[in-house]
Amino acid sequence: MSVSVNIDKVVKKFGEDKVIDKLSLDIRKGELFTLLGPSGCGKTTLLRMIIGFHSIDDGQIKIDDKVINHIPVNKRKMGMVFQNYAIFPHMTVEENIAFGLKVNKIGKEEMTERINDILKTVRIEEHKTKKPENLSGGQQQRIALARALVIHPKVLLMDEPLSNLDAKLRIEMRNAIKNIQQEVGITTVYVTHDQEEALAISDRIAVMNKGIIQQIGKPEEIYSRPSNVFVSQFIGTSNIIKGIIKKKEDGLYVHLNDMYEVKMNNLKQDEIVDKQEVLVSVRPQEFVITNKESGIKGKIDSTMFLGLNTHYFVNLDSGERVEVIQDSEEEEILPEGKDINLNIKSKKINIYHADTKETLIKAGGYDEKK
Amino acid sequence: MKKNKFNLWNISSVIILLLMLVFIIYPLFLILGKGIFNSETGAFTLSHFIHFFERKFYYITILNSFKVTIVSTILAVMIGLPLAYMLRKIRIFGSKFIQIIVIVSYISPPFIGAYAWIQLLGRSGVITKFINDTFQLNFDGIYGFAGIVLVLTLQSFPLVFIYIMGALKNLDNSLVEAAESLGYSNFQRMTKIIIPLIMPTILASSLLVFMRVIADFGTPMLIGEGYRTMPVLIYQQFLSEVGGDAGFAAAIATIFVIITVTLFLLQRILSRQYSYSMSALKPMQAESLSGTKNILSHIAVYFITFIGILPQLVVIFTSFLETAGGQVYTGRLSLENYKNILFDRDLNAIINTYKMGLYAIIIIIIIGIFISYLTVRKRNLMNSVIDTLSMFPFVIPGSVLGIALVFAFSDEPIFITGTVLIMVIAFVIRRMPYTIRSSTAIISQISPSIEEAAISLGASETKTFYRIIVPMMLPGVLAGAIMSWVTILGELSASIILYSTETQTLAVSIYTEVIRGNFGNASAYSAILTVTSILSLLIFFKLTGKKEVDL
Repeated sequence: MSVSVNIDKVVKKFGEDKVIDKLSLDIRKGELFTLLGPSGCGKTTLLRMIIGFHSIDDGQIKIDDKVINHIPVNKRKMGMVFQNYAIFPHMTVEENIAFGLKVNKIGKEEMTERINDILKTVRIEEHKTKKPENLSGGQQQRIALARALVIHPKVLLMDEPLSNLDAKLRIEMRNAIKNIQQEVGITTVYVTHDQEEALAISDRIAVMNKGIIQQIGKPEEIYSRPSNVFVSQFIGTSNIIKGIIKKKEDGLYVHLNDMYEVKMNNLKQDEIVDKQEVLVSVRPQEFVITNKESGIKGKIDSTMFLGLNTHYFVNLDSGERVEVIQDSEEEEILPEGKDINLNIKSKKINIYHADTKETLIKAGGYDEKK
Repeated sequence: MKKNKFNLWNISSVIILLLMLVFIIYPLFLILGKGIFNSETGAFTLSHFIHFFERKFYYITILNSFKVTIVSTILAVMIGLPLAYMLRKIRIFGSKFIQIIVIVSYISPPFIGAYAWIQLLGRSGVITKFINDTFQLNFDGIYGFAGIVLVLTLQSFPLVFIYIMGALKNLDNSLVEAAESLGYSNFQRMTKIIIPLIMPTILASSLLVFMRVIADFGTPMLIGEGYRTMPVLIYQQFLSEVGGDAGFAAAIATIFVIITVTLFLLQRILSRQYSYSMSALKPMQAESLSGTKNILSHIAVYFITFIGILPQLVVIFTSFLETAGGQVYTGRLSLENYKNILFDRDLNAIINTYKMGLYAIIIIIIIGIFISYLTVRKRNLMNSVIDTLSMFPFVIPGSVLGIALVFAFSDEPIFITGTVLIMVIAFVIRRMPYTIRSSTAIISQISPSIEEAAISLGASETKTFYRIIVPMMLPGVLAGAIMSWVTILGELSASIILYSTETQTLAVSIYTEVIRGNFGNASAYSAILTVTSILSLLIFFKLTGKKEVDL
């Protein structure tokens, strides 16, 4: 019974300002789809267009091929969970959940049954008769979720639902949301600015910036093969250093300095010319501190021990500054001020065009394409 | 979403705006018109204004008004500020009770204060007699400037007190502790940290006091004797000129409104400039003092509170005293006064007060909810106009409003002078701002996503409004409505101009009985009014669990 959502070239203007310009997106039946991006990127605007709080200035939004542009919010049958929970404070937990059923004129028996079912699903049965003010943030968010799900909406929309919770509860709740979503099997659009949360919870993610979709893909794809510099820096930490492509007989090399070049096997050969300037994106764990002569030279500026691993902030001889992570178990901790030599794991790194900032890595391993 | 032009909000905006235009703007323009146009020829003339400023007999009232207002305001701050500081800083026995007493003394109408102080310090007042007998003096009682200032100061310090109590509650004590750790002495902390932080509140409350005092009619009328202020002059000119040329009264009213509007704007600018938003994680804790300091601060607090509540005690007490011919107390207790007002004449004054008050408060609550919702949530040009207009009644003194309504509605097409309707309209206009203000405050605190949640669950906008918004607003609305209600009960300055024998209220009755020298009846009426106000307040406290009101 779950539905797909098709967003086709939608436009949203606030005054003269085009916040979203011809954005297209397909959300599949039953998946948990996340809109991820920095604040002001248009993700919440898009969500509010789907539910109908914002009008659609151009383009279409379809649910199972039915255009919903002009259906008023209260007839769209979409459940929404808000950042601040938006629990009705003058009603008990049960009355909150019953609200949507009452306005939809659901019969008494069915209402009781549905309420009890959903209370069980979100695990707040014991708080049924309480006033929300006596409940914790996590419990309030469970009520909000129950209230949205109990009307059997076609689509569930969640707007930064975890951002008001403390770190520990956030992790607990994101697992709960994921589980409940899978149990109910409802198509869900989830908005967040927290990339870790997005990676943890989503079936697929759309990374947005300035109203434009940068990349759509599974969490692991977006993390390991970001399609441009923005995504690579927004998702996780990436060190960007400058390099030059060298075409040699046995293939393409990224030249980092006179002593250190890395052979690359997965570059888009057709788009690359010899001596082309590129940006090399290296995640902190993709550096290897080495004793070899060849490598990128630098000096450890500061060390941060975090238990599982150790972070080094290294000033390179080129003037660039990078972050390096080493497993604390395997290696001893290096002192600040020490000169080191860095190698990179060529299979993991990403290479971007210096001007367009788009990836030069061949699509592959992941058949999902934008 | 489809935009429906004829939805609930647009229709209610239009209705409210029309009502405001007809009952506030039109009458005020009429006053202005009467002031600047010759009533016979219709030509533009400033002769009324020149007439006013030519004679000291007239223009002295402006100076008088300012003198009593400035002095009373300063005194009110000098009493209200230390009292609030002491209650926040020092553990005073019964401080909760004291706060309630101060609120009670605030809600009592000023003319009851004037009347009570006449009984104490007037020509034949108890204290006057005692002093004269004891010291063989010939003190003639406290009338004129001193009397007005005494009454209005005692009437106003509670407002300053309540405001500053609120500000001090929001002042984070760690600011004071930070100053202490940086080496500031107790006195320096007070002058460098606390006073500057609550300065906006001090200014705001003193300007409110200023506006109230300058527009007060009953007090100077009763205790002022020859000392006439502007509201008194307007009333006298209006009475003597009804039927004749009302232009002069209109001109004075115009001058008065110009003064109050200027003050109001000044207040808005000041309060915008000097406001810190504070919310205390760790508010100031009252500390126990010991020894002489403790005793002295208790005496000071109790004394001020006692003087503040004294008028109510006096009227209730004297209402049980037997009088000879209504004028002279015989010294014996009796229920004669109550018998007089309850059984020897009709009960119209009492019934009218509650009946018209109830009509007015119902209208106030309904319109108040709509106005605050529209101005906060449905911001557009029309609702901005409504927002501005809804603040007008703050600016228009009651006597001016009274005259304006008489001018506007004594003739076709709307002839309602002397009816219940015009009284209710006056009450609604004058006392609506209390309710609007506190309703606006609470609606601003309700997150818009609450509404969106209800709509996303399938409720229509209208249903969301009645089922979600109104119930959530109600505590705030009622906190303002209680102030609207008790001040309706004591409304005098517009009522005195608008009432007829059919619509006489308690306040008007008290006033006329005092003027007639019929102190026994006046006390009984005052006691009924006072007890009603106090009971309303206590019921409100009980119902809401609050111990504060929104002023």
